[in-house]
Amino acid sequence: MRAAVDLFVRRRMVNALNLGLAVAATLFGLFWLVWLLWTLLANGLPWLNLTVFTQITPPPGSAGGLRNAIVGSLMVTAIGVALGTPLGILAATYLSEFGRASRLTPVVRFVNDILLSAPSIILGVFVYEVVVLRMGHFSALAGGLALALIMLPVVVRTTEDMLRLVPDRMREAAAALGAPRWKVVTLVVYRAARAGIVTGILLGLARISGETAPLLFTALNNQFDSTSLDKPIANLPVVIFQFAMSPYADWHHLAWAGALLITLAILLLNILARLLLRAIRSGR
Amino acid sequence: MTEIPTLTYPNGLHATQGSQRGALHGLTRPTAVSDTKIAVRELDFHYGGYQALKGISLDIPARQVTAFIGPSGCGKSTLLRVFNRIYELYPGQRASGSVQLDGGDIFAREQHPNQLRAKVGMVFQQPTPFPMTVYDNIAFGVRMYERLSRARMAERVEWALRKAALWDEVKDKLRQTGTALSGGQQQRLCIARAIAVKPEVLLLDEPASALDPVSTLKIEELITELKRDYTIAVVTHNMQQAARVSDYTAFMYLGELIEFGDTRTLFTQPAQQATEDYITGRFG
Repeated sequence: MRAAVDLFVRRRMVNALNLGLAVAATLFGLFWLVWLLWTLLANGLPWLNLTVFTQITPPPGSAGGLRNAIVGSLMVTAIGVALGTPLGILAATYLSEFGRASRLTPVVRFVNDILLSAPSIILGVFVYEVVVLRMGHFSALAGGLALALIMLPVVVRTTEDMLRLVPDRMREAAAALGAPRWKVVTLVVYRAARAGIVTGILLGLARISGETAPLLFTALNNQFDSTSLDKPIANLPVVIFQFAMSPYADWHHLAWAGALLITLAILLLNILARLLLRAIRSGR
Repeated sequence: MTEIPTLTYPNGLHATQGSQRGALHGLTRPTAVSDTKIAVRELDFHYGGYQALKGISLDIPARQVTAFIGPSGCGKSTLLRVFNRIYELYPGQRASGSVQLDGGDIFAREQHPNQLRAKVGMVFQQPTPFPMTVYDNIAFGVRMYERLSRARMAERVEWALRKAALWDEVKDKLRQTGTALSGGQQQRLCIARAIAVKPEVLLLDEPASALDPVSTLKIEELITELKRDYTIAVVTHNMQQAARVSDYTAFMYLGELIEFGDTRTLFTQPAQQATEDYITGRFG
């Protein structure tokens, strides 16, 4: 009886201790995150006004905004998504649907996982070597290409996972109706995994929209408005980098505003992705 | 383990069965009514190195219900999956021997599996509505083989849903997603989907085992209704169900066909000890 009570008390103490440690660890993690967001808001929000969107990056000492960098970021990211998404979905389709028994499949998957964790600067240098040096100059296209390479493994991985969540009996049912393989995949499997695939693309998009290192080697920067794929182009991450490193206060302010802008955009994308994921889980 | 006698199945068995059946049921139909739809001879089946079917031979009569019973792993589902060659979706599964549909070899080089599946439809254990509307679920298979005008397709969808005794329940929900129906409705949707292609044979792989008793009853009534137009092969682990819905029953054990005969005889006067042991619940 006595021993039983001791055991009970002991268990409660161990429970309280573990719970306390877990909560402390969570708070520790959250503390930095909240601090970071707070600093960003406090320093960025005062400078986030309409001029940021309407004027181009200024020389030091004069007024200006980030319009060219925002446009450039949208363009470079769009190129990355436009190249990375179809390629990624097709590769994932091969891994999940057509190459299940192939000996190539585990190799491709392994290489993709390596690519997934490769430092982005390596991919930037790679594109610099393969594209920028050959073309002889930095360009928006090279920037988009570098971002596509970063996005590709994210899309491959999530899309494959989502396709694999579609039960085989769905494929069997479609095949049993006489549907050829490609129709089974495009009409039934893609449709069943639709929300998951979109989530993967959004996550990939969120991943590339804050990348700086690969753009430094590829798109570089541009003080002026440019929408040419063949020329260097301004983009938020590199402008933030350049402005933050400068000694000028007004450039610092713009860098803060840009940083807040990117963070909000990524936050929005992530929330959207999560909402979609939740819709999948509850919907089917 | 009890020694199971192997039954070598005589080829000319069918005539005998027909007359037996006529005599037992007191039917006036001529024996020629039950001509053979599917003739199986010396069929072996391998999952990689494992042999799941051993020298199966039997004749499935046209426009009758043939039930396959036996304990789990006896090969009854495997046999069904040979008839529409759905097993070919998975590498490493192979069948050898002969299966003839209306006298034509289903393994013949010129027999394309998708054309075979137009004639041999299948319904699976788990309801598998596609993630699309009720209407599109039905139209899916039809579109694989026929180009119908909008009006003709609507007629076909209604016809199939009526045949599957589902029309009255879903006629106002044709534009809703098929996954929103109840389990029993989903399974009848799958039957309607299979019927819509206008097959000659329906393979039902434990079609009611995931359903509640009321839905099960509806499916059983449907099977009885459908055999006027279709040759039906149904796998079930429920012996009462086999006795209720089928005209012929095949008892399988460990990959072999132990006994095949008209349902009443097999359940009342089984020729093999193993059959008697199984149907009286001594194993399996």
